Amino acid sequence: MPRLNLPKEKTFTGPALIWKRIAAFFIDMIIVNIVVLFPFRALFRNIIPKDYSFSEAYKLLGSSSNYASYISSVSFAMSILVILYFFMMERKMSQTIGKMMMKIYVVSDNKELKAWQLLARSLVFLPVFPFVLLWAVDPLFMFFTKTNQRLTEILGKTRVVEMYTLQ
Amino acid sequence: MGQPPFRWGYAIFVLLMLGLLGFITVGVLSLFAGVDVESLGGNVALIPIEGIIAGTDDSGFFETTTNSLDTVELIEKAGKNPGIKAIILEINSPGGSAVASEEIANAVRKTNKTTVAWVREIGTSGAYWIASSADHVVANRVSITGSIGVIASYLEFPGLLERYNVTYQRMVSGKYKDLGSPYREMTQEEKAIFQQSLDDIRDYFVSEVAKNRNLNKKDVDKIANGLFYLGAEAKELGLVDELGGKDEAVRYIEKKEGIKADIVEYKKEKTLLEVLSKVLGRQSFFVGKGIGSSLFDRKIASGIGINT
Repeated sequence: MPRLNLPKEKTFTGPALIWKRIAAFFIDMIIVNIVVLFPFRALFRNIIPKDYSFSEAYKLLGSSSNYASYISSVSFAMSILVILYFFMMERKMSQTIGKMMMKIYVVSDNKELKAWQLLARSLVFLPVFPFVLLWAVDPLFMFFTKTNQRLTEILGKTRVVEMYTLQ
Repeated sequence: MGQPPFRWGYAIFVLLMLGLLGFITVGVLSLFAGVDVESLGGNVALIPIEGIIAGTDDSGFFETTTNSLDTVELIEKAGKNPGIKAIILEINSPGGSAVASEEIANAVRKTNKTTVAWVREIGTSGAYWIASSADHVVANRVSITGSIGVIASYLEFPGLLERYNVTYQRMVSGKYKDLGSPYREMTQEEKAIFQQSLDDIRDYFVSEVAKNRNLNKKDVDKIANGLFYLGAEAKELGLVDELGGKDEAVRYIEKKEGIKADIVEYKKEKTLLEVLSKVLGRQSFFVGKGIGSSLFDRKIASGIGINT
């Protein structure tokens, strides 16, 4: 049976919707927490006994400089693993699992994604000064830029986009 | 540019690799971080005081010493931990530096937790000083304790040097600057000065024990002749509160605090790096100084050490 010669769907890429980006981030964090950061749970469980209240745990952690430096070392190691997750996934596929599920992906403002651009995107995960300041500032930029870019994305010249179809 | 293809195989590989890396990282952190993460639960902290008590860490692979700074830190850590209700000091030490012993004794006295000293094989001199600062002292019937006194004996070897035609060129600015040098004989005047210092330290030691144990200073002074006592004798003299061991120490705490004791060991574990750097440091010292200097004990060569 002959088919109608329908016009092709017109598609274009545009900034990914913020809610999709947030959802993708939470999905990624859940996956990273379950798979990658799982071994670290035992460490934290040993440092802070389960039945401790927040104030008791806070007092305990402040009781010695050893705790503070130990927590810093552990946090730093964890952040490196998180950065590696995003770096390796986005380097090869421009997507993480969360982004794939939300159908969004990372593109470069230039031709192709370079390693430094991907690392720049992940600076926010470093738990050391001055990068900790990015925890608050970085995502805020998403809400005030037309392209929904985070600060580190602007610096790294990357964007998170999704495909839109014209009906 | 269209949406890139997603490869599940690669994603699973990345996750597995990072998971494995996580396990390795945790292992490495446990090895090198040097924080004893096992010692944070429970309600009774057990702090060991073993070997010579010193102000610095002289332990190696095969010898144990108690570093006063580490021990004070552990006592303070236990003191700040709201879950810890009491501290047991597991003492197995012949004593050591007077300063280090006093530092630990002061920390024991200052802590707001119930403290029990449990003397095992030996708890003499500086170690007894520490034990006396606890609320309750438990010792075995045949534990060796007491030996309240001060020692600063040392080797003098000017004769040895003379035999090998080595002379000591005395170059000092200040009459007593090389007091206690092992390379020349001590004069009577110098001996008297030294003896006076030792007597002063002993007197302070006696005062502290009397104060800690709530005893008459004159009575303590009579037995502070450096003699050691077995646990049973020490109990009769009033230097020890109770004969027994760990069970008795725990029972005292449970009765006083009204708790079921859950003991955790507070011990500053040395990291692999610390042990290795110490061993390497010592080797360098011996190589650098030559075999000759390694024949002499480091402390003797550097002068007299006052020990309790």
